Amino acid sequence: MTAASADLTVNGRRASFTALPDDERLLDTLRWRLGLKGTKEGCRTGDCGACTVLVDGRSTLSCLTLTREVEDAAITTIDLGAGDREVDRVRAAFAAAGALQCGYCTPGFVIALAGLLKERGRSLSLDEILDSLQGNLCRCTGYAAIARAAALAREAAP
Amino acid sequence: MSAATRSDLAVKLAGGAIYGTDLDLPGMRWAALVPSPVAHGRVRSVDLAPARRLPGVVAIGAEDLPSLLPGSGDADRPIFPTREVLYRNQPLAAVAASTLPEARRAAAAVRVDIEPLPAVIDLESVFPDWPGAEADRSPHVIAHVHARHGEIEAAFRSADRVVEETYRTASVHQVALEPHACVASVTGDRWYVRTSTQTPFGIREDVASLLGVPEERVVVDGTWVGGGFGGKGSSLLEPFALLLSRAADRPVRLALDYRQEFELGRTTLPAVIRLATAVRGARIVGRRVRLLLDVGSSLPGRDFATGYSIGFLLGPYRTDAFEVEGYGVRTNKPPFGPHRAPFAPQCAFAVESHLAEVARSVGVDPDAFRADHLWHEGDSTALGQRVGPFGLPSALEQARATAARWRAERPPGRGVGIGMGFWSTGTGAGGEVRLVLTPTELRIVQGEREIGSGSVLRGLVVVAERALGIPSDRVRVEYLSTAEAPYDSGVFGSRTVGALGRAILEASASLGATLAERLGEAGPVRLELTGGELIAVARSVRRPVRELLSPGELSVGLVANGRHFADPRKIDDSRVVTGSFYPYTDFTGAAHVAEVSVDRETGAVRVERYAAFHDAGAVVDPGTARASVEGGIAMGLGIALTEEALWSDDGRFLNAHLLDYRIPTLGEVPVPDVTFVEGFPGAGPFGAKGLGEPPIIPVPAAIAAAIRDASGAHVTELPISAERVARALKLL
Repeated sequence: MTAASADLTVNGRRASFTALPDDERLLDTLRWRLGLKGTKEGCRTGDCGACTVLVDGRSTLSCLTLTREVEDAAITTIDLGAGDREVDRVRAAFAAAGALQCGYCTPGFVIALAGLLKERGRSLSLDEILDSLQGNLCRCTGYAAIARAAALAREAAP
Repeated sequence: MSAATRSDLAVKLAGGAIYGTDLDLPGMRWAALVPSPVAHGRVRSVDLAPARRLPGVVAIGAEDLPSLLPGSGDADRPIFPTREVLYRNQPLAAVAASTLPEARRAAAAVRVDIEPLPAVIDLESVFPDWPGAEADRSPHVIAHVHARHGEIEAAFRSADRVVEETYRTASVHQVALEPHACVASVTGDRWYVRTSTQTPFGIREDVASLLGVPEERVVVDGTWVGGGFGGKGSSLLEPFALLLSRAADRPVRLALDYRQEFELGRTTLPAVIRLATAVRGARIVGRRVRLLLDVGSSLPGRDFATGYSIGFLLGPYRTDAFEVEGYGVRTNKPPFGPHRAPFAPQCAFAVESHLAEVARSVGVDPDAFRADHLWHEGDSTALGQRVGPFGLPSALEQARATAARWRAERPPGRGVGIGMGFWSTGTGAGGEVRLVLTPTELRIVQGEREIGSGSVLRGLVVVAERALGIPSDRVRVEYLSTAEAPYDSGVFGSRTVGALGRAILEASASLGATLAERLGEAGPVRLELTGGELIAVARSVRRPVRELLSPGELSVGLVANGRHFADPRKIDDSRVVTGSFYPYTDFTGAAHVAEVSVDRETGAVRVERYAAFHDAGAVVDPGTARASVEGGIAMGLGIALTEEALWSDDGRFLNAHLLDYRIPTLGEVPVPDVTFVEGFPGAGPFGAKGLGEPPIIPVPAAIAAAIRDASGAHVTELPISAERVARALKLL
């Protein structure tokens, strides 16, 4: 596998690598090169959604994305701190609804929901939002509290 | 009060919580296991030389253990098999390298020579007919339990009717989203491992025994746990990571990918349940229950599953005469391990479905029939234990009212059913806590980690809050490693609030007594917050905690210890013919109501409405309690409808990924109505009973009853897949 230099923009910061293997997944670059462990590794086959990040504002499974594919994009992860309107709104909704237990799926859900709100805002119905979140698995909550959080986040959207 | 007051919300929502998979130590090596290519075989050789020739690779196998270990480990449980491989993917050796791809290449380079032996995968191939007297001599039988009570033969002889049925249940996996992961670092004689676990002290004990290292030299530190559900309750990767770290003289990370998580996880395996019930009039006069349980490659004498599981086939119903017999049958799969309420949902599915059929056979309403036979407080269980305060009859009464309403309202094609289950709180040896009071906060120092349910971060905090009247945001849970923390047996068995909570009560009482003495006032002490300072209040006397502490205590805090070890409980041994049964304490239960629709062409089931009625004793934290029930129902729906590990004849886990092993998704779980039936106090703090596991237990039974009601399909096998419903309806 060849490796060449690469640049990546994550949470508004530019990162450069001198030798990045062509087959490296975005999930691994984030977690093990940049130390951004907020994005979780679950199945690595695109079935659980725990690794969801935003690529130019769109929900993307970082386990199925080659880092090379997103060199020119703006990547947003759960590690971005405070200040992003939609991410903060979703976090507040999750806290108010108590929508997490072990928390391992939480970064994926928060980012996926924030991505939906960024793209479509309140033009999405709650049912459409819940449909869109079906690719994110949670084993603890039974989704009831997550659905409550999604409703709260939607209501708070402009 | 809502779950929103959990103190882990902020760190988890910021992405700052470090789980086992996130661990990273400077200079860390990455590890991989060398899997057995066959499910059963004789080890001829495991040649590590090709792996060792790769740059930077450390490889260890059975022959390296004497030089790495101070003593000898458990001869019955070798780290690496030297003679016989018992299941596919059983680790034969382990390697570490600078990167994960290098470690995987090194693992693949190891030359394994194993002479294949016939593998037993299918439980029922061992005993095509039910085991008879020959079973005790079978090398496949590692546990035999048998108990009886009353005039069982006479009961069956004199019965108006005997209903006999066979039920089959599937192998299901915990599917915690975080796969197993740990980092080990051995320095000098300190064997340190940081791991995602429900039982830090259990891991310490297990590792010490497996490696032959004295317990006090093993240090286990926890992380945030990305879901446990029983799967992170005993050691799995830790011994390998520790040995590699010793060999490499570096920290070593060992984690499973999700395929391996399925393949190596210890979980529920298939079972066959035979039930026979003798009825006179509308009354049960005798029950025979028999269980054939696949225990995988569990070791003789180490099988907890058979005697534990079978108990759930005996209740929660009165029976004058009964006979129960079960066999733990060894197959070439990984050892059986606990899955949230181990095997209770499967037993409840069989018992509830069966008794409903029995009721129908004598023309009685199944819900009324079950209500007539249900345990009440003061009844004796089949094994002679007295049932304490027990809210299940009240829960059933409320469930029946809901079911009647739903039946009246339902659109055509839908069915409504009730399922029940019981549970017992209080497993585990016990535990201790240390309370540390400073002028501004109370710390709960203990050895468990929050696994997600909230039992540590909410349950224990609320107990301290109520015991001392202290605002909960001034109570902080402190996690320490096994080297520093007081002992506790683990977060499992729905025991945390009941057991550690009582340790907190004891410590709180001791702390209160010290403060009362220093205040010069008898009576209970409360801790109020004024201007950021804690004030101790006893009757009319109020003084800042700061003024009550000695100079030494001002620097380290005022310390009070509390402990709680398991309540005594005993079954009536005169009823046991052979084997170990599991005694219960603090009985609890739940009745669930499900409404489903069944597709009359495909057999596909959709859950439309759901209601749960739980006896949780006195609920200590309503938000956390509700969350536990909501989550348990979803997990139970998986067991009921979709989850089934498929094992090939040569021992492969065929659907070892989340696309084919289907857990419920967001659109498939209705938001349930959750009701707590109060007035049946348990032995826990303020009357609490455990609530971690009970919510999963009645779900498959309730779903099966609703499917039966909607379509007439009586499915006797879990999961109740669309295909099985279609077969029962003769659509296939």
